[in-house]
Order: sequence, then C-alpha cells, then structure tokens
Amino acid sequence: MSDGQPTLTAPGSIGRRRFLKVSGAAVAGSSLLTMLDARQAPAQLKGTTLRILTWSHFIPAYDVWFDKFSAEWGEKNGVKVRVDHIPHLEIPARMAAEFAAGAGHDIILNNSTILARLYYKSLLDMTDIYDQLGKKYGGWIPAAKSPIEVEGRIYGIPMYYILLPMLWRKDLFEANGLKPPDTWELARVAARTLKPKGNPSGIAFSHCNDANLNWRSLMFSFGATETDASGDNPTIDTKEMRETLRFAKALFDEGMTPEVFSWDDASDNRFLASGIAGWIHDAISAYRTTESTNPPVFKNTFVAMEPAGPGGKRVSVSAPIVFLAWKFSKNPTGAKEYLTHLVDNDKEGMIQSTGYNMPFLNDNAKKPMPIIGADPKLQILQDFPKIVAFFGYPGPYTPQIQEVANLFVLPDIFTRVARGQSIDDSVKWGVGEYRRIFAKHKRA
Amino acid sequence: MTGRSQSGGPDASSARAAAVSVAVRPRHRRWFEGQTSRRLAFGYLLLAPAALYVALLVGIPFLFSLYLAVSDANVGDPVARFVGLGNFRAAWEMDTFWDALRNSIVFLVVAAIFKSLLGTSLAFLLLQSFKGKKLVRALVVIPFTLPISVSVLSWKWMYDSQFSVINWGLNKAGLIGAYGSESWPVWLGQPHLALIACIGVNVWRSFPFSAIVLLAGFTSVPTEVLDAARVDGCSFFQRFRHVVTPMIFPILIIGFLFDTVFTLSDLSVVYLLTQGGPGSATQILPVLAYQIGIQAGSLGRGAAIALMLVPLLFPALFLMLRNLKRRDW
Repeated sequence: MSDGQPTLTAPGSIGRRRFLKVSGAAVAGSSLLTMLDARQAPAQLKGTTLRILTWSHFIPAYDVWFDKFSAEWGEKNGVKVRVDHIPHLEIPARMAAEFAAGAGHDIILNNSTILARLYYKSLLDMTDIYDQLGKKYGGWIPAAKSPIEVEGRIYGIPMYYILLPMLWRKDLFEANGLKPPDTWELARVAARTLKPKGNPSGIAFSHCNDANLNWRSLMFSFGATETDASGDNPTIDTKEMRETLRFAKALFDEGMTPEVFSWDDASDNRFLASGIAGWIHDAISAYRTTESTNPPVFKNTFVAMEPAGPGGKRVSVSAPIVFLAWKFSKNPTGAKEYLTHLVDNDKEGMIQSTGYNMPFLNDNAKKPMPIIGADPKLQILQDFPKIVAFFGYPGPYTPQIQEVANLFVLPDIFTRVARGQSIDDSVKWGVGEYRRIFAKHKRA
Repeated sequence: MTGRSQSGGPDASSARAAAVSVAVRPRHRRWFEGQTSRRLAFGYLLLAPAALYVALLVGIPFLFSLYLAVSDANVGDPVARFVGLGNFRAAWEMDTFWDALRNSIVFLVVAAIFKSLLGTSLAFLLLQSFKGKKLVRALVVIPFTLPISVSVLSWKWMYDSQFSVINWGLNKAGLIGAYGSESWPVWLGQPHLALIACIGVNVWRSFPFSAIVLLAGFTSVPTEVLDAARVDGCSFFQRFRHVVTPMIFPILIIGFLFDTVFTLSDLSVVYLLTQGGPGSATQILPVLAYQIGIQAGSLGRGAAIALMLVPLLFPALFLMLRNLKRRDW
C-alpha cells in the first residue's frame, strides 16, 4: 500500500519493478520470435489432438503427401493428428452434423461450397493469421477474401484454388486451319468446324460443379455480372447476359452434342482423354488424366489462357478451397499453428498436386511457379491469378450465391436456352429464382 | 397399557370383536388388482419398449422437423424465429418444387407398377422347382443388399454418355447408331430418358424385395386350396385373382406400404445419378429438400419441402391400412 508520498524517480532511471517488467517482456518476446522463426509450436500443444476433415483430392498423390505432412507436424509438436478424407460433396452435410452436435473435427476443408458466411458465428476468427501470412508472403490475391470475410473479419484460411482453363487439341486445330482459342469467338469457330468432323467440343450443362464454374466464366467474360458489388442484389437481367445466352445457344447447337447435359465433373476428362474432344473448358485434372491414359492425345493437348469475351475481358471462375476451424474446437491454438505451417509449405503442396493447386498468396504466385512454371504447356496458367473470380462476381461469395450454386440455377438458365426455350423466358425464370433466394436471405 | 387389558377382560374381548369385524369387512380392490387390469397393465408393459422406440426414433424427429418447417432455422444459427407457413409458401412459389412434386409422383407410380410386375414374375419363377434354386434365390437379393452408392455408381457408368455398355449392346444389336449419331441415347442428358434411367435403377434395386415379400405370401397359401381351385377348372390367372391374392392381401399391403415409403423417400439414386438434372427433369422432393436444407443451409425450408411428402404418403397409407382392417385379417 502506498504511504501517499510521491515516489521520486529520476528521469531515465529504471526502478526494480520496471526492470522486471521490461526484462520479462523482452525474454518472452524473444522466445516467441525464436519460436516463430523456427516454426515451433507453443509447448501447450503437446499432448493435444487435432482432427482434420478434408476432401479426396483429384490428385491422389497430394493426399498421400498431405497425410504424411500432417502426421510429421503432429510428431514434431507432440500433437496427435488425425486426417479424414471424404468426397467434397459430403462436406456440407458433415459440417451441419458437427455444428448440431457441437463436436467433431477441429479443421474442416470447404471446396467450392464455402460455408464460412453461413457458420461464421461458430467459426474461429482467423484474421490474425490471415494478416500475418499476407504480410509474410506479399499479400493475398484480390479474390482471396471474398469467400471468407464477414463484417471485416476473416473466418478461414484460403489454401488454393482450382483453375478451369481451355484445354484444346493443337493437332486438330492446325489440321483445320483454326487459330488457338484465345477468344470465345475463336472457340466457337473451332467448335463449329470440328464437330462435323467428329470432334465436338464440350462444356457441361448438367447439375455439376463444372457447369456452375464454366458458364460463369463465359458470362463474366462477356461483361455480365451475377450480383452488385455489395452482393445483396442479383444483376443477371442485363443485355450482356442475354448476349452470353445467345452465344451459348449457338455454341451448343454448332459445336456440342447433347451428352453435355449428362456430364458429371469427370465426364469432360474422359471426353478429352478419349481423343474425341476438340476442346473442353476444365481443370487440369483432365490434362493429367489424358497424360496417363492417352499419351498421343496428351502430346497434342494444349492449355490456353481464359478466352476473352467480345470486349476483350477475361474472367476465370475458379473453385476455391479454404480451411475453416470451429470455435468449439478443443484445440484452437493447434488449428491455427497447423494452418500457418501448411501455408508456409504451400509451394510443396503445389508440387505434390502436380500444379493443380493454385496459390492464393502473391509471393507463391510469382513466376516461375513450381511444376507449371517448368512445363511449357502449362506456363500460361501463371497468368491466371490476375483474372480469377468466384461465384457472385463482382460481389462477394455470399450464402445466397451459395444457394443459387447448390440449386444449379445458372446452369439451368443456360440449359433452358440450349434446349430451345426463349432467352427472355429463361432469364425471367432465372431472375425469379435469384430474387426468391436473395429475398429469403435478406429476411433472415 | 392397563392390567385388565393384559388379563383379557371385557375390554379385550370387544377389542378382538372389533378386530375381527375389521378383518371381515369387504376390501375395495384397487384398479390394478383385477385380473383384466393386470393383464392390461402387463400388455402395456410389453408394448412400452415399442411405444418408446416409436416416440424416440419417429415421434421426436417428426416433431422436430415440424418445428424446423415453421422456423427460419439455418445450419449456422442455433436460434430460429417462428415464420408460420412462410417456408411452405416459399416452396410453392418455386417452379422447381412443382417439378419435383410431379416427378416424385411419376417416380412412385411408374416404379410401383414395374416393381409389382417384375416382383410377381420373379416370385412365380422362384416358386418353381429347378436345379440351383437356392443359389438363384440368394443371387436375386444382391441388388437390394449392395451398398447403394456402389450400385448406383455402377449404373452411372452404364449410362455414361460415351462409354455406356447399354448403348454398346444396343449398337451391336443394330438397334441404335454409333456414338455421335442422332439415335445414340444420352441416358442422363435427355429429360425423359434421365427420369426413366433413375426409375430403372430404383426398380432394379427394389424389385427383389417385392419378389421376396410375394414369395413369402405365395408359400403360405395351402396347396390344397390351389388344388381344389384347379379341380374346379380355374385357370392360372383365375387362381391368382380369386384365390391367391385375397389370401395374401395383408402381405401385399404391407409390402406395398414399405415400398411406397422407400421409393418416395429415396434420395440416393437421383442424387448420385443426376442431382436432379438436366434442368429439373429428375428433380424429386427428397433431393430438393437436401439441396436446400443441408447444402444451402436453409433447414427451415428444407424441412418444409421434406414434409410435403407427408400429404402424399398419409392418404395412401390411411386408405391401405383401413382396407386391411376392414378385411379383418
């Protein structure tokens, strides 16, 4: 207790208490820096458990690496790590079950169906490590925040995204005097020329993720948009959208066969690998599948930049992959430490995925990127980060857009037009569906 | 106590008399002491586990889905508000909902017809005596016992737009043209074919169940009755119509009930084959409810759509059970 007498301390002199505070803080700070520098997890992690739910990657070798990587991190830090792989389409149901039970995995991967905005109240705030990683690796690409930001806070760590470029058969193009599909118009000319010769082209119209992604790339490149910048209002009833639909109808009639209405996410891979396709617009898993199953076709399969729309605009709609962590996780520190370590090893992940995983961090996106930077046919993919967008463009990736995507409303608009319904009626139907979904979320 | 009472004087005798009168007074038996009541109580006791089972596993989830259907519950928010019939109204405003309702009914009726025909035929075949009958009986249940994801994925390959073995067979038989020709069917890409393909898988999976139910019924019909009908000059179809069917009617009804419920609530076949596409050509209520309720996270609206199955199922179940009761079997 003070005796009421002022304590006289000479300016610049250090008292006993102050000395202890300053020296204590210095020791703690230096230990933390050393620990961070060495990427050593805090001691309190020892003896804990970390459960990770992830998808079955399209490149199986990546899963082998991922499991090993996670186990090694666990051994190093004394954490028992368990990794569960399930098909990505089952993840929303699993998340709903874990949320209802208030228990389950600590970390959950979301692929394309990004549920951060739906569950953000129950998710771990990752703003600190998101900012820290951004600073460390030259910032995140512009599209990175869209799926995981809610009210200025970040509720997930973007890991990688999957590009869907144009994969085209150079031999067929050259044999028919066609130019590479650098614009959608050139792609249409090629489709129209090659179909009668037994080499139709293809983009899925069916209820699959590829359809959701590919038709959005086309419409955004044509200058159409899905929502306004706030993401609160749908904007599909435009001249540009009608122009896109007119083009899509012609593309289907002239260059595709009805099988595109039945495709799943792997059908176009098989279509390319079979040697039939003139071009497809798909992830490079199709390219890799062809490499292993049909080397002669693979030799002539090339990857093109996202085709430009009539105004020269290029937008590549990609599938984001992010990791979320539950707030009820028993090991939030471990979750953050693990994710930081995973991002620190992002380049290794890119290598293991054979160039399938595209980086969200600017430094990792610098040329030459691992694998794709060394492959002359894939080098073009390094130019994509500038034009990547996600569902809802130019608005954010909201729950209402998620619902629109889950119900395949956009591919259904294209399907209606391709099947002969008028563009006005199809747009009217689509606008009705969008408005109904948006209105419901606004009320909520 | 006094000394007199201890010695057994007049007070003691009156007390004994009183005690005797108490002992002989007719005692009112409580409700549970009667033999009928005891039997009833015992019966209820035996029923209790089943009642508890139904209440816990059927009643509570049903009530919970009712609660969800009138709330704005979503997967990410544990607090829900009452929205009345808003979710049902929202569903009715969707074109896709009406497509799903129509497809669900078509699916149910067409599948039921084919399962009845194929199930009956198979049951009759399995009634015959032939070598390897036991093996065949074991084999026919394979579609029903295989994990649905495995069998449906196999069918997905068989329906593949490019590598369909069905199309290959039809092509070899000269019934369709080559791949890429106009006559090459795209099973999961053409609206009507897609619905037929989905129904086909459902029928393939379930008709062995119908056959086994019917087989159980057929074998319970005494051969003397059938012989008597034969002696009276009944043809095969007359025996089936007037002898066998009435005798196995309860089994038929129970089998039909099960099948109706299984078919209407079957999510997997359509979800794995087409996810309701192309367009909404194969959309059915369970898939739509799953897509909206779980994948998009709107539990309230998903529950409302799922509950739309109840008005479809309830009258059918009610009529069938009432019919069964009237027959007093």
